[in-house]
Order: sequence, then C-alpha cells, then structure tokens
Amino acid sequence: MHGIPDTPVDVYVNGRKTLDNFKPGDVAGPLNLEQGDYDIALTKPGEPIGSAILTVDNAAVPGGGNVSLAAHLDAAAQPRITPFVNDVSKVAAGKARLIVRHTAAAPEVDVRAGGTPVFKGLTNPNEAKGDVDAGSVQADVVLAGTDTVAIGPADLNLKEGTATIVYAIGSAEGKSLDVVAQTITGLHSAPGGVPSGDGGQAGTGVHTWWYVLTSVGVLLLLGGGVRLATARTGRK
Amino acid sequence: MTVRDRGALAAVAAGVAALTVATLVACGSQPAEDVGADEAANLATATPTPSARAAEGQSVPVTAGKLPAGAKIVPPVRLVIPGIDVTATVNAVGINERTNEFEVPPSVDQIGWYRYGPGLETDAGSVVIAGHVDSAKQGRGAFFRLRELDQGDTVTGTGSDGGERQYRVVAREEYAKTKIPLGRYFARDGKPRLTLITCGGPFDAKARKYRDNIVVTAVPA
Repeated sequence: MHGIPDTPVDVYVNGRKTLDNFKPGDVAGPLNLEQGDYDIALTKPGEPIGSAILTVDNAAVPGGGNVSLAAHLDAAAQPRITPFVNDVSKVAAGKARLIVRHTAAAPEVDVRAGGTPVFKGLTNPNEAKGDVDAGSVQADVVLAGTDTVAIGPADLNLKEGTATIVYAIGSAEGKSLDVVAQTITGLHSAPGGVPSGDGGQAGTGVHTWWYVLTSVGVLLLLGGGVRLATARTGRK
Repeated sequence: MTVRDRGALAAVAAGVAALTVATLVACGSQPAEDVGADEAANLATATPTPSARAAEGQSVPVTAGKLPAGAKIVPPVRLVIPGIDVTATVNAVGINERTNEFEVPPSVDQIGWYRYGPGLETDAGSVVIAGHVDSAKQGRGAFFRLRELDQGDTVTGTGSDGGERQYRVVAREEYAKTKIPLGRYFARDGKPRLTLITCGGPFDAKARKYRDNIVVTAVPA
C-alpha cells in the first residue's frame, strides 16, 4: 500500500524490481513469498537501488501469514515502511471484518460509523479492527474526542466474508488526508445449519407404531404356533 | 377343528399379516439413494491457488485503493422446478442472529436465497436456495418433494433482472445434519452451480426436527 503523497516509486524486493512506478493511493498484491526475511527498497522511478529513498532490511514474512507493507508518513510526516500482519481468520456467517490503519501524518483519531465512534484513540502507525454485520455503513474519521471531521464521510460497503482494510494516508498539515482501501476475500464461513422443516410429514424411517406392530405380529405368530403345536400333541 | 385351534390359526394369520404390513412399510420408508455425489464434490473443487513461490518472475497486480463498491449481484426472485410442480417466490435471506443458522423464510411456500453468497450472475461458486419441506402449522412446504428430483431434471431460476437461467440436476444427496459438508455447499469458488437444500430423513417428533438435509445440486444447462 502506497500512502506517501506525490511520490511514485519503484519497489525492490531482495534487490529485484517488483513494482514499477507504483503510485500513491494504489495497492499492489498479492505477492506470494516463501517464509523468511526480505529486504525492501523504494526508489524514485528509474533510479538505481543504491539511491533508495526508503529501505527496510530483514522484514519478516511468516509462513502462512498475510502481511501488508505500508509505505506512509509517520506522525511527524517522515516517510517510513510499516508491516501489518493481516487478520485473515474466518469471520462468522453474516459478518465482515473492518480494519482501520492510521498511516497518516495526523494526530490521534476516532473512527465513527453512522456518527458513533467505533474505534477510539487510534494513533500512527497502529490499527484497530472488529467484525461487524455485513452491509453498508457511513464512516468518517474525527480528531480523537472531538467532532472535527478529518476524513470523510464515506460509504463503506463491507461485503460479507471479507476483510476491508482502510488506510488513512497523507498529511493533515499538507491537507492531503485521504483513504486507501484493500480488500481480502474468502474469509466467509458457512451457516451453522439449514433448519427447514418441523412438520414430520416427510419423515422417512419407521415410527414407533411400526415397532409395536412388529412386536404384536411376532407374539401372535409365536403364541398361535405354540398353541397349535400343543393342541396337536395333546390329541395324539 | 376345535375352537382353540381356530383361535390359534387366526392368531398366526394375524401375526403374518402384521409382519407383512410392517415389512412393506419399512421398505417404503427407505430414503432414495444418493445420486451424483462425486460430481457434486468435483464441482466444489476450488481453482488451485498459486503456491508460494519466490518473488522472481511474478507479476504483481496493482489496483487503485478505492473503497469497495457494491458488487453487481443478481438475486433470484422465482424458482420453477417442473418435475416436482414447484413454482416458488424466492426471498433474499441471511443468518438467524440467535442460532447462526440459515434463515429459511417462515412462510413454507416461499424459499430463501442466501444473499451473502453468489447470485445468478455468478461464474463461480454455489448459489444456495433453501426451503421448508413442511411445517407443523402450515403443512407441506415448497420443497416437500425435493428428494424426488433426479439427474437430468431441470430447474429454472428467474433473476431480479428478469433473465431466466436454466439448470440441470446432477446430484441428490442426503446427509445427517451433523455431518453435512456445509462449507462445500456455501463455497464461493469452484464451478458455478445451484444448490437446493431442505430437510429430510427420519423425523424426531419430540424435538420436532428432521435428522437429515436433502441437497440437490444443479449446473447451468
């Protein structure tokens, strides 16, 4: 995720150019990597890796993990790279995950949905997250503890079974605050069951009366048979 | 022949009759066997995801980080299954918050489409529609005869866009509710398919519950 205003870059992973002219506000990926440590370097487009403007050495990529690298401004408006481990665990049926990351040169903020703060006191470079009912919400970002809107409002369409990651980027001072979104799909769960009948008219298998009938039949046969047999023996 | 003998003979005859009836009932109560289970399972096989590779040679897709917009989904609004005389209104339904189960429409002559999964427009995954087999209060439901469907039967779904889409039944399966692989039937990947679900199997009169689910899988015809 590229959140440094006005600064397109080339991205190098372990010395190899992976992204060409990657623009602010864009999201690249997924890139599948073996578990391990990676060196990341950002250069101005076309410039050699030796004159990188930003580097991270030995960024850990855990096996089976899902990591987003954010190139962004810190609270003091200095460019940096922050790795975020994405929560890609399954969400319950009917739910969606909302993750908000503060990657802007801005003070502490609250995130509101429908005017109610849902995440409070979020600071750079941290995230807040929660699983919420899937659907649309109107969200905005305000300075912590105030009603002063810093970003938004915007309609968020939180699709069931996905994680929507919203990055606050840019700079408050530079009046370039904005949001960048990344969506991770495939986190849905199936419902717990499909209850679809309580009448019993379509029941297969046998009822209690079947066992009664069978028992009576067997008893009659046995009783009658024994009686017949003893009667004949008696007459002899 | 003595009266006693006659009584005994009558008892034997009644016993034979009772057992004959019981046998006939037992045979008639056997559920139809599953058909097409393998085909249904194959449809669900996900398209393979690329395995972890080194960075070399991979092209990395770049997208504008725009807020996600609502996807264009075509909800089914009507379902017609000529083979079992079904013409039913389809409602968009979700999850019962209390039970975490599929919210089948309470009215038994209406059926429910799982609105979180794909709609009729989909080119991947399972469009799920469930309906009541019956109800204690309302009697027979729209899917009362679902278990009579067989391979080759046709199903027509009408979307909210007015378009009709034809499907062909490839499988009918019965699973104990405790064992049904719901993840497969609610998958959003694999081949496009229509999954119809209702209840069936032995009925527990005390719990007012059927033991099983009947699942019919159909593919675009």
